[in-house]
Amino acid sequence: MLKGGIRTRIDCALLILALVPASSRAQTASPSDQETITQLVEQIKQLQQQDHDLLERIKILESKQLPASPAAEVGPSLPQSAEQTAPPPTPEALPHEWHDVHGIRWRGFGEVDYQVLNQRKPELGTGGFAPGSQGNFYTNEFGLFLTSRLTDKASVLSEIIFEEGDAQSYSVDLRRMLLKYDWNDHLKFSFGRYQTNIGYYNWAFRSAAWLQTTADRPLVMQYASDGGLLPTQAIGVSVTGAIPSGKLGLNYIAEYGSSDTIRPDLNGSGQVTDENNGNHVNAGFFLRPDAVPGLQIGASYYHDQISNNDLLSGAPAPLLPGVLGPSTRYGQTIVNAYVVYVAHGIEFLNEGFLIRQTVIGGSLHFDQPAFYSQFSKQLGRMRPFFRYQYVNANSNSNAILDDVGLRYGPSFGARFDLNNYIAFKAQLDHTARGGEPDLNGLQLQFAFTF
Amino acid sequence: MGVKSITTLLLLGLAVLSLVSRGTAQAEDIAVVVSSNNPATDLSPGDLRKIFAGEKRSWPGGQPIQLVTRGSGCPERVVLLKLLGMSEGEYKMYWTAQVFRGEADAEPLIVPSVGMQKEALRLFPWAISLVNVRDAKSGMKVIKIDGRMPGASGYPLH
Repeated sequence: MLKGGIRTRIDCALLILALVPASSRAQTASPSDQETITQLVEQIKQLQQQDHDLLERIKILESKQLPASPAAEVGPSLPQSAEQTAPPPTPEALPHEWHDVHGIRWRGFGEVDYQVLNQRKPELGTGGFAPGSQGNFYTNEFGLFLTSRLTDKASVLSEIIFEEGDAQSYSVDLRRMLLKYDWNDHLKFSFGRYQTNIGYYNWAFRSAAWLQTTADRPLVMQYASDGGLLPTQAIGVSVTGAIPSGKLGLNYIAEYGSSDTIRPDLNGSGQVTDENNGNHVNAGFFLRPDAVPGLQIGASYYHDQISNNDLLSGAPAPLLPGVLGPSTRYGQTIVNAYVVYVAHGIEFLNEGFLIRQTVIGGSLHFDQPAFYSQFSKQLGRMRPFFRYQYVNANSNSNAILDDVGLRYGPSFGARFDLNNYIAFKAQLDHTARGGEPDLNGLQLQFAFTF
Repeated sequence: MGVKSITTLLLLGLAVLSLVSRGTAQAEDIAVVVSSNNPATDLSPGDLRKIFAGEKRSWPGGQPIQLVTRGSGCPERVVLLKLLGMSEGEYKMYWTAQVFRGEADAEPLIVPSVGMQKEALRLFPWAISLVNVRDAKSGMKVIKIDGRMPGASGYPLH
């Protein structure tokens, strides 16, 4: 910067000089011309001398602070004057991070929310939010994110979530705990508890509200423990990597693990469903073509077996007539496809799902489509957004997601980044529900990372 | 008359000197540099973008790539953001997301001077960085982008 400042001053002087002839020719030479020229030349000499002195000081400082290193040749077409033009280094010899390669890195995120819904009949409340006609404050999730590099290729990642429950109680959830081994770009292993790579949202935003544009996740991408439709967590092994495909940028995902899930009913019945999931297989791919940076197109196929084991206050819920018992197993297949564009301040997310649950050994099956589309555009610090979501879960009593039913509607609002660490979001939601009154809501949120 | 001639000559000379001191337009190119021991010699623009976006994280030999960047406001940073199609705020958020996703250990290393860039390349033999071509130092190996060195016609980083 110092060097640039001096150069600018010299160049300004030269520019002034260069501009003078045009006007001086039009004027009659006066005795003061000679004086002016002499003064300007003298000023240039002074500036050059200052430049020279400062560069000398920089060289002295650099030689004191940087140990001598074996010199290698810079490309022959390049100037060799870098030593003379380098800006002064800061007093610290090395940034702090350089010493932290093998330590534990901590990051964190959290949120403070206010939400109000116009519903009369309470539904499921999560994250500390007590649904009802009155609004209330809650903190949802506070997360600590720890990573540590063990070797050049091995590392450990963990995400510890403190989630608010009823009456300001908090539970701890080890949301992710992974031993990672990156053999190379084509083969990366993760062992432990992971978030299933069904779709884009779960991969892109993880648990951090701060990363999300909107104040909440789309319903289909809610965590299963919050009434979401998908098995979002599993313990097992995940393998990802790039497939040599040139400018197509093709990548694969393969997961095998246990995704045993207990999800509470959304409708506020107080029931939970222990799905007793068997081991799942999830395979997917996505491509990021060089031709359109920011574009990502992907698809995945997930399969496991589950039960419709309804529990009420920890005991088996009474069975309705004609309803299959908890011993009935369902084959669950989830197909996902998405097209996402995130670049140049634009965020355009589009994901579709088809959740099929089929009674094993029978013909009864339930197809449950869902999708969401979200668009936002960065305008300075503001990012207005619009989202439309749709879930059509089968309301048949034998369907595992019968508590969800049909739900669809828009959300819109804006995210305002106060700085690089704190964001404020305001969001209005309108949700139409099959057989139930429409639901309107307002969410305000401070989301932060540290 | 004599004064005017001398004045004109002097000013022309100074103007030429000014142009020379600025260098040519090619000298404003931003070079991609690696350690002198790194065998890489050429990268495609797509690969370069993937590397600085953290999507490509190892060299063909499997060695992990260490990103070394300059801070906000530097010409190298401006070119980096242009390469990635991001604003400074988006860049910071992108890397925070990469860390939370487990795709990266940390945000790329930021160094405040060319001297420290050189030192980083010495400490991390598999590092890569962007540097104003005029500031390239010994110990920095400049690699071609799409077969072109900085200063060549069609060089994409400037």
